[in-house]
Amino acid sequence: MKQPLLSLVNINKYFGDFHVLKDISFDIEQGEFLTLLGPSGCGKTTLLRCIAGLESIHSGDILLNGSSIKDMAPNKRNVNTVFQNYALFPHLNVYDNIAYGPRVKKSMTEAELKERAANVLELVQMLGYEKRMPHQLSGGQRQRIAIARALINEPAILLLDEPLGALDLKLRKHMQTELAQLQKKTGTTFVYVTHDQEEALNMSDRIVVIDQGEVQQLGSPRDIYNNPVNLFVTTFIGDRNMMRVRVLETEATHSLVQFGENVVSIRNSGQHQLEVGREAVLAVHMDKMRVSCHEQPNALVGEVLSVHYSGSQIRIRVKVADRQITVVEYQKIDCECEKGDQVYVTWEDHGAILLPPEDGWAEGEV
Amino acid sequence: MQTLKRNILAVPILVWLGLFVGIPLVFVFVLSFLSRDSLGTIVFQFTWENWQRVFDPIYLRVFRNSLLLAFLTGLVTIVVGYPVAYITSNLEPKKRALSIGLIMLPFWISSLLRTYGWMILLGNAGIINNVLRALGIIDKPLPMMYKFGTTLVGTAYMLIPFAIVAIFNSVDKLDRSLLEASYDLGANKRQTFFNITLPLTLPGIAGGFTLVFIPALGLFYVSDLLGGGNTIFLGNMINTQVTRGRNRPLAAAFSIAMIAVVLLVISIYGRIAKDDAEGLFL
Repeated sequence: MKQPLLSLVNINKYFGDFHVLKDISFDIEQGEFLTLLGPSGCGKTTLLRCIAGLESIHSGDILLNGSSIKDMAPNKRNVNTVFQNYALFPHLNVYDNIAYGPRVKKSMTEAELKERAANVLELVQMLGYEKRMPHQLSGGQRQRIAIARALINEPAILLLDEPLGALDLKLRKHMQTELAQLQKKTGTTFVYVTHDQEEALNMSDRIVVIDQGEVQQLGSPRDIYNNPVNLFVTTFIGDRNMMRVRVLETEATHSLVQFGENVVSIRNSGQHQLEVGREAVLAVHMDKMRVSCHEQPNALVGEVLSVHYSGSQIRIRVKVADRQITVVEYQKIDCECEKGDQVYVTWEDHGAILLPPEDGWAEGEV
Repeated sequence: MQTLKRNILAVPILVWLGLFVGIPLVFVFVLSFLSRDSLGTIVFQFTWENWQRVFDPIYLRVFRNSLLLAFLTGLVTIVVGYPVAYITSNLEPKKRALSIGLIMLPFWISSLLRTYGWMILLGNAGIINNVLRALGIIDKPLPMMYKFGTTLVGTAYMLIPFAIVAIFNSVDKLDRSLLEASYDLGANKRQTFFNITLPLTLPGIAGGFTLVFIPALGLFYVSDLLGGGNTIFLGNMINTQVTRGRNRPLAAAFSIAMIAVVLLVISIYGRIAKDDAEGLFL
């Protein structure tokens, strides 16, 4: 079997009594774009800092190309970080910022450095900015310089700590594409930390969903989006309507569940054992649902509460069995429904998932 | 009119400064061009004599002594104060408050008493000499008093809290993620200190140096008590001319010359710290 680039082995980390990282284990493959995704305070940034060497771990091991780096000082590790606030040195110009790593490590001559600096600046489209000071750059430009400053060291892994958090929405979208392209072009392994599911789904080869210091799910964006393994991932990724249902019957591919007066058939995800007669949670992507005025098979019957038009999408709120469901439609709906109309809500088969209920989960409005 | 309204609250302090700093300063300036009779009474007669004496080579040596003392005091307080400030700013909040409290504590005791304290410590029959003799390390007491170095130690001791506080403020503002970025890029601790920490805390060093240099230029009781008057400094010179010398016009000329030196130092500081929004004086 091919050796992974980086292996995290049963990592535990405490801040005082607080258990920040709980037994975290997974591998990072050469050349992939891996995202650590989770809500703030889940431990994702701490994990990144442990890989960088800026935090120590209490137990477990970190293996880079098979050898342990857990006791290695950050300046000896062949990984580089792009910090959340960029951390550009304010008293050095762009060129000297980029030259900092090679200069302190004395890893190249000034002539080589000049050539490499030009290469990385071209890569991030910042050629010609060498003499600027960091405070003369915009947020997006600083971002690029921070990436160039890290990439010039040719790290085995580039760690990025919410690098787009401080940018405005439009620039963020643009930088997402650019970062993903940059990663493919350089072939550098990226480990990217974010709390933004859209960012994670857009850019990553694989996503690690983390909550309360534990890995909840690891998989491709498609896998995580369509087949969440538990309620946390289900609520955290994608906008879903969550409904508490009763399981009536389970078959090979589908199960029959009851929601209010409605009995519908839902595909089995194969990951969960559902017991007949027990409660379960039905989660359906809002944008995979359709509203129709005409009777439909396998539908929930409800009453329209409101219809909102916003650009290309239409948000329709429907009351089904005293619960409110939101449907987001992108195409023209098959009938002009209004408040108070009776409608039939259907969904694409793979947009729905059934999960066993967990303790403490309350049916809330999404 | 708008600016007047906005700055109305500054009027009392401006009146105060004008009455008690500005006008006396004008008096001193005018005084430096006046004569005196043999009893020390001011005679309203214009003369260049006082200023000629200021630039007399004998008196220029007094300037040199004072500038050297002030410069060395600044240097010593920065070199000793920097680590103290650096370590203090990295302490947890409780210990940090304690540390700053201890640094400021000597201010609660009269500086004159503290200077006598040094005499008790360093004198021929002082604590250090007594201990060394009792231990049999020396036969004759080490002469530690009444030297240039003694004055330097006393002045540096007196003024070091200013340096520490100025550097502390600067180190405290330093963004720690810059240090992490430096380590991350491959720099060791020494490289990080000289490439990042030191240049970014330079405004604090310049501020601390200025805050120490200026009073060190004029302090007279420390050099009187610890230096024994063996080296004459500006402060002693002015003090002597006003009291025993009965030559207030000459003292005035020296005072104005000293103020000129201070303004020069402040303007140099202003250049170093011009990028730092929270300067000491402006």
